[in-house]
Amino acid sequence: MTKEIRLNAFEMNCVAHQSPGLWRHPRDRSRDYKRLDYWIELAKILERGLFDGLFIADVLGVYDVFGGDARAALTHAAQIPVNDPLLLVSAMAAVTRHLGFGVTANLSFEPPYTFARRMSTLDHLTEGRVGWNIVTGYLDSAARGAGREKQTAHDDRYDIADEYMQVVYKLWEGSWADDAVKADAETGVFTDPDKVRKAVHQGEHFWLDALHLSEPSPQRTPVLYQAGTSPAGRLFAGRHAECVFLSGPSKVAIAPRVAGLRANAASVGRDAHSLRIFALATTILGATDEEARAKLADYRQYADLEAALTLLSGWTGVDFAKLDPDQLVQHVENEAGRTALENITRADPNRTWTVRQAAEHVALGGLGPVFVGSPSTVADQLEEWVDATDIDGFNLAFAVRPETFADVSDLLVPELQRRGRYKTVYPEGTLREKLFGGSPRLQAPHVGAGYRWS
Amino acid sequence: MTRQIHFNAFDMNCVGHQSPGLWAHPRDRSWQYKDLEYWTDLAKLLERGKFDGVFIADVLGVYDVYKGNLDTALRVSTQIPVNDPLQLVPAMALVTEHLGFGVTASISFEHPYTFARRISTLDHLTKGRAGWNIVTSYLESGARNIGLGSQTQHDDRYEVADEYMEVVYKLWEGSWADDAVLRDRERRIFTDPTKVRPIRHEGKHYKVPGFHLSEPSPQRTPVLYQAGASSRGQRFAGEHAECVFVATPSKTVLKKTVAAIRRSVAEAGRDPRGVLIFNLQTVIVDETDAKAKAKYEDYKQYIDLDGALALGSGWMGIDFGAYGLDEPLRHIKTNAVQSSIDAFSSADPSKVWTVRELAEWIGIGGLGPLIVGGSQTVADTLQEWVEETDVDGFNLAYAVTHETFADIVEHLVPELQKRGVYRRDYTPGTLREKLFGAGSRLPDTHPGASYRDLDAAARRSRAAAE
Repeated sequence: MTKEIRLNAFEMNCVAHQSPGLWRHPRDRSRDYKRLDYWIELAKILERGLFDGLFIADVLGVYDVFGGDARAALTHAAQIPVNDPLLLVSAMAAVTRHLGFGVTANLSFEPPYTFARRMSTLDHLTEGRVGWNIVTGYLDSAARGAGREKQTAHDDRYDIADEYMQVVYKLWEGSWADDAVKADAETGVFTDPDKVRKAVHQGEHFWLDALHLSEPSPQRTPVLYQAGTSPAGRLFAGRHAECVFLSGPSKVAIAPRVAGLRANAASVGRDAHSLRIFALATTILGATDEEARAKLADYRQYADLEAALTLLSGWTGVDFAKLDPDQLVQHVENEAGRTALENITRADPNRTWTVRQAAEHVALGGLGPVFVGSPSTVADQLEEWVDATDIDGFNLAFAVRPETFADVSDLLVPELQRRGRYKTVYPEGTLREKLFGGSPRLQAPHVGAGYRWS
Repeated sequence: MTRQIHFNAFDMNCVGHQSPGLWAHPRDRSWQYKDLEYWTDLAKLLERGKFDGVFIADVLGVYDVYKGNLDTALRVSTQIPVNDPLQLVPAMALVTEHLGFGVTASISFEHPYTFARRISTLDHLTKGRAGWNIVTSYLESGARNIGLGSQTQHDDRYEVADEYMEVVYKLWEGSWADDAVLRDRERRIFTDPTKVRPIRHEGKHYKVPGFHLSEPSPQRTPVLYQAGASSRGQRFAGEHAECVFVATPSKTVLKKTVAAIRRSVAEAGRDPRGVLIFNLQTVIVDETDAKAKAKYEDYKQYIDLDGALALGSGWMGIDFGAYGLDEPLRHIKTNAVQSSIDAFSSADPSKVWTVRELAEWIGIGGLGPLIVGGSQTVADTLQEWVEETDVDGFNLAYAVTHETFADIVEHLVPELQKRGVYRRDYTPGTLREKLFGAGSRLPDTHPGASYRDLDAAARRSRAAAE
């Protein structure tokens, strides 16, 4: 049986997300990221294309690795200015019924007690359509912004993150019984006090002795996303993530990571295929291949290589300003994202990258592949990727905003539907039900289900 | 005299905010607080009534003083469950054009670096309609639950608050020049890097070296609200607040409080009339006195006295569960609470107030006064309050929502407009422009404005240290 292909839109509350420089394109609306009407329009386009969700990235820091300062990042608006992602959701939820919302939040920046309430609030307001992309940190500048010297060492971050997860599971899953809220106007009982209990936690990094402030929301724990694919990140994802995002330039780079992620999930007793894995990609579509190629050529004029290297330096922790454009990129160890650097060093043994080649690749769609062509050509490529790598779908970035997404909804989705590889209606229910079928709640053997009120 | 009267709606992301038990009234919608429509309907209603704004309270803690446990608070749902206020705003902003949004956030629960970005984001998305109610206090339990140890508890919370304000002012006012964002397609420059500055803040409580993550929003600093009533709180309000909320049951006490706040503002070198002061008030209004009275009698049946005492115990810091319902309040002599009991009794000093009467008072509209009557009567009364106390307007709580607000919009607002004391149309512009008629930025006399030039601010602070 052919596997269904799933689509997510990859966005960020900033100007240039994965295609730096393209804010200059005459049809691009990136500069409207501050306006609600931009996000409303986007949400409607995505729901029209039956996207599973909109995934909003976030970085609480500045890309100041390139050249050792923030000049290039500011000049090119390379993910700076960047606004808060959470605040976009309620307005988009008001104009949609099915679209899911994956919000990035870095657990180094907010205590679990207040963060858990923010997410429960969102789950209520969206009627169960919220997801959380668990981030443990990657820019030193973000840690400095919050008053720390530098970020926590890579592997320790995941120990802290594990404990953080325990605390939020206790709040989301264990503090209120399903039938705690009576809202009984006859007896005047809103909540049965015997059905609410404190979440108690005394750990190495967190302390808690309080009941969750929010009443049970449709999903309780939001759908959990993770994007770390380093060895420590993969273990963490195996335990907690329900969806994983990864990014790599080729099938060869991606396939072993997918296998690794599935093996990790299986090793903690979970169904390896209960993990939904989405690979970063950008599509450039036209009615014909020729039209699409013309569009690509048009977009390319606006791509900005310095801005691309600014992003790449941040992702890899390597200052590409110091390297010769024709030099080959070498692997080094650092505390930034390890996998990002592997993508252009050793992930594909048959391919080497010069700095310039890496910049050209990143300038359009970041570290993911760019699929260019007619709906049929692009659908072929997506099918090939899914079949060869065992991913479940794609996390689609934009080149021109929101044109790239409108093209997907209007051109690509109908083609995938014709091939029987894409849903024709949204399933009913919460985001978790739409993604996995079954229950709106986390299910055993997921670790979070073990914290449930019983 | 035709002094203008300002209205704010007072709400909270919870059930039965200031009127414990009334969620059980058949027409009350407050139990729908989890739904977006509840909030978008409210926003549209308030904008129809030309309210200045909706003010969303928040408490990151629970009312567990009463009888030493949480049972009553949970049963009656006195401000528990309670959801996050911030996220209601974008959806409400989407369906309105003018309404302002005052959001409560405690400085104890979020780092100024990330908090400043959240508020800037709101100010962008609302096109300059964001306000922040600065809360400096926290329940001890709340502080423990976010992992703050005892060292924070020993610090003077206003000293921490002053430094927090310094950090956010630097981020909002000083980090980006007005002309930093060029969006120049030809020259490939989005932001001019020479016009963005790291704030390099190194203080006793916070260290923030970097620059603000958001580009300049319409108001930069949101409109600043404060609700502190203690004398130290009033000093803080005098320095920072542009709007002050108080909850005073009587004109005598309100008059003194208003004068004290204006004095603090003047002492901080600001125009005492440049600050808007709002008293908590609940209005039950209808076409006639008789109809309003009947409505009140109907509502009253739903008051939950236990719930009211759970709120009262939390606010005053005393367990009223330890006393009989008919015990006079003056018998409850604890230093910590005497002043709040005295303030409350001033609603009618000649009377012997009992615990039961306190509960009945709180039962509709919390500690603020309740005004019941036809539109003429209520308009007369509100004008009296304004003229006798020098208050600028009212922070209106609901008895039954959205009915209380709908009645105000339908019956009271037209009457006040007829009298020429209430706006007929919104003025264009940001919330700050609507409230104060001047610019969208903090006035130059406000301390926040002094951080627009970070070099000068640094020189001042060096000079102060020497």
